[in-house]
Amino acid sequence: MQKSIARWLITVVCGAAYAHAQALPTAESILDRFVEATGGKAAYQQHTSEVMTGTIAFPTPGLTGRLTRYASAPDKEYSVVELGPIGKIESGASGGVVWERSALLGPRLKSGDEKAQAGREAQFRAPVEWRRLFPKAETLSVETVNGEKCYKVALTPASGKPETRFYSRKSGLLLKAVATAVSPMGEIAVEVEVSDYKQFGGVLYPTRSRQQTGGQEMVITITDVRINEAIPPQHFELPPEIQALISKAAAK
Amino acid sequence: MAAVSVTLLCGVLVLPAAAQAPPEQKQANLASFEFVWTTIRDQHWDKNPGGLDWQAIGAEFRPRVEQAATGEAAREILREMLGRLKQTHFAIFPAPVYQDLAAATGGDGWPGFEVRVVDGRVLVTGGSAVPLGWQVLNVEGTDLRALVAALQKDPAIHELQLERALAARFSGPVGAARRITFADGSDQPQTRELKLEPPRGELAGFGNLPPQHVWLESKKLGETGYIRFNFFLDLVRVMQSFGEAVEACAHCGGIVIDLRGNVGGIGAMAMGMAGWFVDKPGQRLGTMTMRNATLNFFINPRAGAYNGPLAILVDGSSASTAEIFAGGLRDLGRARVFGTRSAGAALPSIFTRLPNGDGFQYAVANYVSVSGETLEAKGVTPDVEVKLTRETLLAGQDAVLDAALAWIRGQRIQ
Repeated sequence: MQKSIARWLITVVCGAAYAHAQALPTAESILDRFVEATGGKAAYQQHTSEVMTGTIAFPTPGLTGRLTRYASAPDKEYSVVELGPIGKIESGASGGVVWERSALLGPRLKSGDEKAQAGREAQFRAPVEWRRLFPKAETLSVETVNGEKCYKVALTPASGKPETRFYSRKSGLLLKAVATAVSPMGEIAVEVEVSDYKQFGGVLYPTRSRQQTGGQEMVITITDVRINEAIPPQHFELPPEIQALISKAAAK
Repeated sequence: MAAVSVTLLCGVLVLPAAAQAPPEQKQANLASFEFVWTTIRDQHWDKNPGGLDWQAIGAEFRPRVEQAATGEAAREILREMLGRLKQTHFAIFPAPVYQDLAAATGGDGWPGFEVRVVDGRVLVTGGSAVPLGWQVLNVEGTDLRALVAALQKDPAIHELQLERALAARFSGPVGAARRITFADGSDQPQTRELKLEPPRGELAGFGNLPPQHVWLESKKLGETGYIRFNFFLDLVRVMQSFGEAVEACAHCGGIVIDLRGNVGGIGAMAMGMAGWFVDKPGQRLGTMTMRNATLNFFINPRAGAYNGPLAILVDGSSASTAEIFAGGLRDLGRARVFGTRSAGAALPSIFTRLPNGDGFQYAVANYVSVSGETLEAKGVTPDVEVKLTRETLLAGQDAVLDAALAWIRGQRIQ
C-alpha cells in the first residue's frame, strides 16, 4: 500500500513538474511576442530615427531635470540630461565610440562592460535584434510583477553582464528588468519597472520607468517621441574633447 | 554626500527640545529606544551592525530602558547600547545641549570676520572687520569662554560642531548690529558694534538641501596658485571656476587648495576636482560601502591636469567631501596635507530627533580611503601639522599657508 502511495506521489510530482515545464514558453517566443505586442517587426523597420523628450526625477534628494535622446539606425545615439544643480550630462555612441561628458567629471570614453552595455542600449532596433544582442536567452519561471503574472527571462549578451526581464503573460509587454549597471564607480544592481505604454509611429513605447539603484529611485517620464524626424548630423559627431581623448589614446 | 552636508548643518541648527512631562517620560524613552534600535537594524551598512547580534542587543537593552526612572538614565542606557558598536557617528545628544548649539539668531548676515577655536580661545582668523588674532570674549551678552568650555566638556561635541555653533552666535539678519567684545593684541578689551554684512557668495541649492551661500576665490601668491572655497556645492559654477583656476595656473610652481572650514557637500565633486591633478587613469580616492551598494570614488583625469606640487590645507572644520578629497589625493601620493587633523566626519550620517527630545546621529555608510584607512572619527592627519597660534595671527601671518608655500618653494628648488 505504502509503495502504491509512494508511486502515486512520484507520478503526481513528476506530472506536475512536467506540466510546469510545458507551461513555460521558450524565451524566443516570449521575446518575439514582445515585438509583435509592441507593433510588429514591420513597424519597427519603418523607423529610421527618433527624438525622445521627457523628464527625469530623483525624488529622495529632490532633483528634477529634462532629457532628450536622439537615435538613428543602426546604432547612433546622443542623449542630453539637464539635471538642475548637476548641470548637463551628455552621452553618445557613434562609430564604435561610446562616451560621456559632464560638468562634474569632464569628458571620458567608456570601455569594457560599460561600453558593451551602452552600445547595446544604442542599438536602434534592439527589440527586433535580440538574437544578435543576446546569444543566450532562457525562460526561468513565472513571477508576479505588480499583481501581473510575468515570464521571467534571463538574457546573456555576448559581452557584458547578463540581465533578467519580466514579460506580461497576458499582454506580452515588458514590465520589469533587473540588471547590473557597470561604471568606473563599480557594479550596481538596477531594477527598472516600465509602464504606461503609448504608441508612436505604430510602435508601443513605455513612457514611464521607475528605476531603483543603490537605494535611490529615479523616475523617467517620456512626453514625446518624434519618429523619422531629420536629426542634424552634428548631434552624432564626437565632441572635440572626446576626439582629443581618442587621439591621446591612439598616441599611447 | 549631500546627506553629509545636510547632516552637518542640521546638527548645529536644530531647535531646543520641548520639555517632557514626567508621566510621558517612560513612553518617550521606550519610543526613543525603538527608534534608535530599528534605525540601526535597517540603515547600518553592515547587516550585523558592528559584528553584533542586533536582535540580542535589543532583547538585552529594551527591558533596561523600560525600567529607567528618568530620561537621563534612559539616555545613558542608549549610549551604552551604541557604545557596543565601537563605531563613531552613533551618538545621543542630550536635549539641553541643543540649547547651546542652537542658532537662535537666524539670518545670513555675518560680522565680517571668521573665527576658530585655538587652545580654548575664540580667535579672529580671517576677514577684515577686526585685526587677526583678536580674541572674541563676548557676543551680545554671551560669554564665549564659558560657552566653549561647556561645549568642549561634552565628548560628543567635536570641533566642527563647536565652530558652527560659534558662527551661529555671530550671524543674524543682514544689517542687524552685534555688540562684540574682543581682547586686542595687548589683551585690552575692545568693544565694537558691528553691522552684519551680506553673506559671501551665491545662494545655491541642491535638491532638498536648504540653499547655502557658496563662494570660491582663486588668486596667485607669487608663483603659486591659491584656491579656496567653502562648500562642495553649486556644482556647475564651482567646477567651472575650479577648472579655470587650475588651467590658469598651468605654469605655476605649485597650487594650494585651502579646505579649512570647508564642511563638504556633494561627494562626487571630489572625484571631478581630483581629475585636475591626476593624469593616470584607473585611480580612485576611496570606496563608500552602503547596505546595498559599494561605490568607488573614481578619478577621471582631465586633459589639462596639473602635475606640479599640490598642497592641501585642512583643519578641524574640514569635513566630509573635503576630507575625502584631501585624504584621497594624499594617499595617492599626489598631495601634501598641511594644518591640523580634519573633522573625521567622512561618512554620510544623519541627525534626527528622538521622541524624548534628544538628538540622534547615525551613519549610513562606511568610507575607506585608498590606503585602506577609514576616515571616520580619525580624520585626515596632515603630513605637516601646523597649528594656528595667537602670536602668528597677531603678526598677520597664516602659519599653515606659510608652511605650504615654503614646501612648494622647496619643491621648485629641487
